[in-house]
Amino acid sequence: MNVSTLLVTLVALALFSYVFGKQRALSIAKHNRRRLHSIPSYYGYMTALWCGLPALLLLFLWLCFETVVIEQLLIASLPSDIQSLSSGQLSLVLNDLKLLATQDLMDSHTEPMKREAVQYLLSMQATSHSLRTILVLVLAFAGAAWGLSRVIGKTPARIWVEKVVLFFLILSSTVAILTTIGIILSLLFESHRFFGEIPPQDFLFGTKWSPQTALRSDQVGSSGSFGAIPLFLGTLLISSIAMLVAVPIGLMSAIYLSEYASPVFRSIAKPVLEILAGVPTVVYGFFAALTVAPFIRHWGETIGLDVASESALATGLVMGIMIIPFISSLSDDVISVVPQALRDGSYSLGVTQSETIRLVVIPAALPGIIGGILLAFSRAIGETMIVVMAAGLSANLTINPLETVTTVTVQIVTLLTGDQEFDSAKTLAAFALAIMLFISTLILNIIALYIVRQYREEYE
Amino acid sequence: MTTTNIEQKVNETWGKPFVDNAKISIRNMDVFYADKQAVFDVNLDIAKHEVIALIGPSGCGKSTFLRCLNRMNDTIPICRVAGDISLDGENIYDTNMDPVLLRARVGMVFQKPNPFPKSVYENVAYGPRLHGLALNRAELDDIVVTSLKKAGLYNEVKDRLHSIATGLSGGQQQRLCIARTIAISPEVILMDEPASALDPIATAIIEELIDELRKNYTIAIVTHSMQQAARVSQRTAYFHLGRIIEVGETSQIFTNPQHELTENYITGRFG
Repeated sequence: MNVSTLLVTLVALALFSYVFGKQRALSIAKHNRRRLHSIPSYYGYMTALWCGLPALLLLFLWLCFETVVIEQLLIASLPSDIQSLSSGQLSLVLNDLKLLATQDLMDSHTEPMKREAVQYLLSMQATSHSLRTILVLVLAFAGAAWGLSRVIGKTPARIWVEKVVLFFLILSSTVAILTTIGIILSLLFESHRFFGEIPPQDFLFGTKWSPQTALRSDQVGSSGSFGAIPLFLGTLLISSIAMLVAVPIGLMSAIYLSEYASPVFRSIAKPVLEILAGVPTVVYGFFAALTVAPFIRHWGETIGLDVASESALATGLVMGIMIIPFISSLSDDVISVVPQALRDGSYSLGVTQSETIRLVVIPAALPGIIGGILLAFSRAIGETMIVVMAAGLSANLTINPLETVTTVTVQIVTLLTGDQEFDSAKTLAAFALAIMLFISTLILNIIALYIVRQYREEYE
Repeated sequence: MTTTNIEQKVNETWGKPFVDNAKISIRNMDVFYADKQAVFDVNLDIAKHEVIALIGPSGCGKSTFLRCLNRMNDTIPICRVAGDISLDGENIYDTNMDPVLLRARVGMVFQKPNPFPKSVYENVAYGPRLHGLALNRAELDDIVVTSLKKAGLYNEVKDRLHSIATGLSGGQQQRLCIARTIAISPEVILMDEPASALDPIATAIIEELIDELRKNYTIAIVTHSMQQAARVSQRTAYFHLGRIIEVGETSQIFTNPQHELTENYITGRFG
């Protein structure tokens, strides 16, 4: 029985156990309603869980360790001269054997030793599969039987089910945390390898980025230099242009929406702004590359400026438009939280609405607004699609917005797309860049969340 | 007197609503929140340099009434005011009347102290600065110190003028709000239950202050405490379901109310 059939069978068994467990509980309740601790369906759940969970767990563990155990047994059965091979060569031999086993490629030319080993491997796999099916089903039946035997009046099935639910909730939240830890570890591990080849100070403070490594030792002109300063500066330049666009427009639209707009206008304008937030970034990307960049180039030529066709300005402008809704909706939230009493206090002193907003509302909401801006900034730094499509690839060390710059994310994408070998500094550099990006956005997010939280406490 | 008689008599105001030296005159004032009428046909004069107390059960419209006197209700879009309200003979709901300038003449102190999250100094200097009352820093300092002294707060805060105002105690915050209001030299001060969020000692200080302020300002105070009304005011108006039932000298209202509803309220039979 293969795994999916086994799973379906387990589910069916659990369903049956539910029905049986509930029936049994009902028959107890028929004679005396108060004899049951919980309502009958809880006894059904309990029986089903007893039937399904241990069996599932066994299946899971079996699948985890099956390959490893079979491999070890296979190695042990091989002649000692093969066993003593280096691990690389040994894994080549093992792969060869597995390929022969799965593809049925054996013919008269196959060495007898290999033929024997493949036979052994196949028989072990067959044994493992049937043993797995039998054990899992036996455990399922045993669980169901145990569960049914526990369907007696005083079993607190309701509380038992509660505990199982809690366990699953904890398990689910752990998955998210473990995934994050896993991502961080893989980044750390790969960047450690990178820094083994390139000294960290060359990476962090070098001003030349040219990640071409030689494939052969006699190749010329591709020594590879991994100074990331041009990338950091390019990222900063484009993000700053984006913030220059997004902060004033976003903030002012938030002020208008929360302080001046009529409820009708607000009910239309807010969803429209949120649509802007929902536009896929790839759409912004070609908007930047095909509409805004040529327009700026043309406009630059008209007034006699030399504008690159992939200028940082065009990319930054479009990224700014993308970020407007973040700033505006986060600011709108914090401005709305400022107590009406403060506004009333200001109005009652004969102060106009715009003075009140400028001198009372905005200062009171400022920590929250700054938090929102930092969150938006960390998003701008990590933004990928727009810059991949609209920003350039050449790592110029410049702060002129009319020139082409490249960003950290663009370089990660270029380093890792296509066929790659994962042992050269060129590809490993992507992980080092990613970890820098991760650290900077993490710091920005922590500061932003801290500021926002501090602010929330003030009015509660 | 039976209930029916009371119902017949609520449509007119008993006592003496009008005075000779009126600072604010209210005639036939109705206030609506959308379709719901909150204040019905109110007629009242507020005399110069008097403290008038507005008392009555919760939801009787006295706060709404008060907020109409400096057009604070303009900030509520569904609120509509009808009738004549005049300040020194000028109709304050006239199209030529700028509510911002009106509020500089008719200040307001709220139920809950609402100092700005700025320093004590900045709280008081806020209004004078925007109204251009001080030509230089020295004059501004002078206004701030004088206002704090008038509000009886100066001695308590003189060492921390530049620390944040929200760190003061509730009573100090409320006196700061009063100082902030008198810093722009209004003619009238409206107080909406100014002591209801304060402890008895802070309340006593505020009450003394109100009595002191009467020399320079006209004051209308909404209060739930009848003792407070009796202590601080010269005249008292009793509101019931959006109408003024009875107006008169405070001593007369509390010792010899004419209307049965007033008597029921001040003797604690309801409210």
